[in-house]
Amino acid sequence: MWKWIQRQASPKVFYHTCNRLVPWFFWPFITLLIVGLYWSLVISPADYQQGDGYRIIFIHVPSAILSMMVYAVMAIAGGIGLIWQIKMAEVVAKVSAPIGAGFTVIALATGAIWGKPMWGAWWVWDARLTSELVLLFLYLAYMSLNSAFDNPRTAAKSSSILAIVGLINLPIIHYSVKWWNTLHQGYSVGTGGIKDPDMQIALALMFVASILLYALLVTIKARTEVIIREQNSRWVEEEVRSLMS
Amino acid sequence: MTMIEFFSFLPYGKYAFYVWLAYGISALTIIALFVTARRNHFNTLSSLSNKYSRIK
Repeated sequence: MWKWIQRQASPKVFYHTCNRLVPWFFWPFITLLIVGLYWSLVISPADYQQGDGYRIIFIHVPSAILSMMVYAVMAIAGGIGLIWQIKMAEVVAKVSAPIGAGFTVIALATGAIWGKPMWGAWWVWDARLTSELVLLFLYLAYMSLNSAFDNPRTAAKSSSILAIVGLINLPIIHYSVKWWNTLHQGYSVGTGGIKDPDMQIALALMFVASILLYALLVTIKARTEVIIREQNSRWVEEEVRSLMS
Repeated sequence: MTMIEFFSFLPYGKYAFYVWLAYGISALTIIALFVTARRNHFNTLSSLSNKYSRIK
């Protein structure tokens, strides 16, 4: 296992691994998404307080967790790239940023749409919402810093430092509902959260589907990034020629 | 007639507008991620294959 991970530091090996992994992430993702949506929208009962309006939770919570998880992966991969000079870790960090930004947009948008019927406002400057918005800005800053350099190694170095410094925001988002008195409801997962088993199953299915979606998008986008970085290698030229013929 | 009343024929009645809007926006965001990834990949392949054919 450890040997296998070490071999992924080679661009050619990593490219072929990504190629092989795509169907292994795609089909489980589609299956879990369909089952998860059915469980969320049909099987789960209406909430005793929020009626059917609570069903937004099944996309809001997984995408909010993923927005933070992807950021952690991005910062750790960036750190691995900085410390051990592993170029493929830089690739993972770079391609994760737009995916994480996508999850953050989904979390913010579904939160606003959920807030309107329950709180009466699309947006409030509350600790949870503000810190999640800061996360979106961190992703955008990472992406613009990364694209500001011609040399991909220099770009990875500066943007990885930004990503690592931004890690401080993750505990702030997580504990914001505890540290501050906010309008945002408390934790849904764990004690005091949702208790209905069907709701829990639906949420778990959507969460695993979101992880698979992230993995799938990383493998798809990493292939392109490896080809760009290694465009002067013999194997990339052969690969591009065989793909375009 | 408000949007909320207009969309109340859908499942979840008075919440239908909000629930389906949330699911719709999420679906669009995810589809956009796939479309841009795919377009990027093909643009890269075609520009690189142009580059290689110029060299030879």
